[in-house]
Amino acid sequence: MSIVLTRPEVRHASSVEEAVGWLAELGAGAAPLAGGTWVMRAEQRGEPLTQTYVALGRVPELRAVTGTDPVVVGALTTHTALAGLAGPPALDALRQAAHHSAFPQVRNVATLGGNIGARGFVEADLVPALLALEARLVLAGPDGRATVDLTNYLADRDARPAGEIIVAAELPVATTRRSGYARLTVRGGGEYAIASVAISVDAAADGTVTDARVAVGSVEPLARRCPAAEAALRGAPLSAVTARAAGAAAAAECSPRSGLDAPGWYRTAVLPGLFERAATRAGHDVVTTEA
Amino acid sequence: MSYELSVNGRRESVDVPGMTPLLDVLRDELSLRGAKKGCAEGRCGACTVRLGDRTVASCLLPVAVATDEPISTVEGVAAPDGPLHPVQEALLECGGVQCGACTPGMVMTLCDLLEADPDPDAQSVRQALVGNICRCTGYHKIVEAALSAAAALREAR
Repeated sequence: MSIVLTRPEVRHASSVEEAVGWLAELGAGAAPLAGGTWVMRAEQRGEPLTQTYVALGRVPELRAVTGTDPVVVGALTTHTALAGLAGPPALDALRQAAHHSAFPQVRNVATLGGNIGARGFVEADLVPALLALEARLVLAGPDGRATVDLTNYLADRDARPAGEIIVAAELPVATTRRSGYARLTVRGGGEYAIASVAISVDAAADGTVTDARVAVGSVEPLARRCPAAEAALRGAPLSAVTARAAGAAAAAECSPRSGLDAPGWYRTAVLPGLFERAATRAGHDVVTTEA
Repeated sequence: MSYELSVNGRRESVDVPGMTPLLDVLRDELSLRGAKKGCAEGRCGACTVRLGDRTVASCLLPVAVATDEPISTVEGVAAPDGPLHPVQEALLECGGVQCGACTPGMVMTLCDLLEADPDPDAQSVRQALVGNICRCTGYHKIVEAALSAAAALREAR
């Protein structure tokens, strides 16, 4: 990283290909810029900025929401827009995560792609929801476009090739699927989550959970799926009891981080309660849940 | 780098690096010092302004991405020689202004709320103010002011 003597400059790309071209050419000296709400905090936190930012806001393709299954959501879709995203109950966890994240003034600007791509952002709310929804990312790079599982993308997020940007997220929306999201904060609303939980389940006609996807955010340095918790939810209808058991299983499989907001043991201790809350919210419209 | 902005209906030209926060441009380049730098990381709401039809934390907004839509600040909610905006008037009347640091942000958030919802209940007001911290903790008076301003605006219609 080169020394930055003045504030970085910004170039506006008018297409995905232009952005990719500039980013590939500038390499480590450049980064993509979406809403900017994460990177603008870098200086205050003593983190380095890069020399040039390639702004994506004038690329209409990145704002588009298309398709019905999967629903394809452009990377520049804001949290506010995601909270009102049209689509079946399978998407509830994402709508709820977007609605409860940060504050209105940030949700109005912060984007889907930024939330996924922001390095070091351990509390990102959308990421666990997207993991539970089995999101796939459409990426554009110097070699063209590719679609990858979000899980695979996150595994090497900090070492992605220069010139790559997130174009969209593909969200499968099976009609048997319901999902819910819950987060714990120091204040009543907004803020960064101490821990967050997204649950997505497929249920048979009698309510028995046939498959489950569970992700936990803010507990480890990177949001993760919790296979033991998923196993705990299968084979019975989703209830407070099964959700708490799954939360206990997740607590056992996570290695929690400590921070100023909470010690590690606390982040896992609250998981059963958060699992119960997320299960309660599964299948409910975002407006019926409190701030 | 030179940027053209529309601020409170006026065209402004500023010469700053693109990643300069809009808040710094408003305060240091355009002498619009209503919006405050409280936390500088989008948690306190003292820097709230409107960009197009939405409220934003101007401390986190690079000026380079603020050029495509009109910006309005607390200085623009009432005409320079005119009466205060009903939201401002109500904050004064109801005792919703104490030290004043949060007031410009509160005004912007409440103006935005009352445009979207002319008849909010107290809970909706509190919900809307989740991103605005009053360091004097005078929230009850601010919520009262919002309800009073909403009534005044409905009457004026």
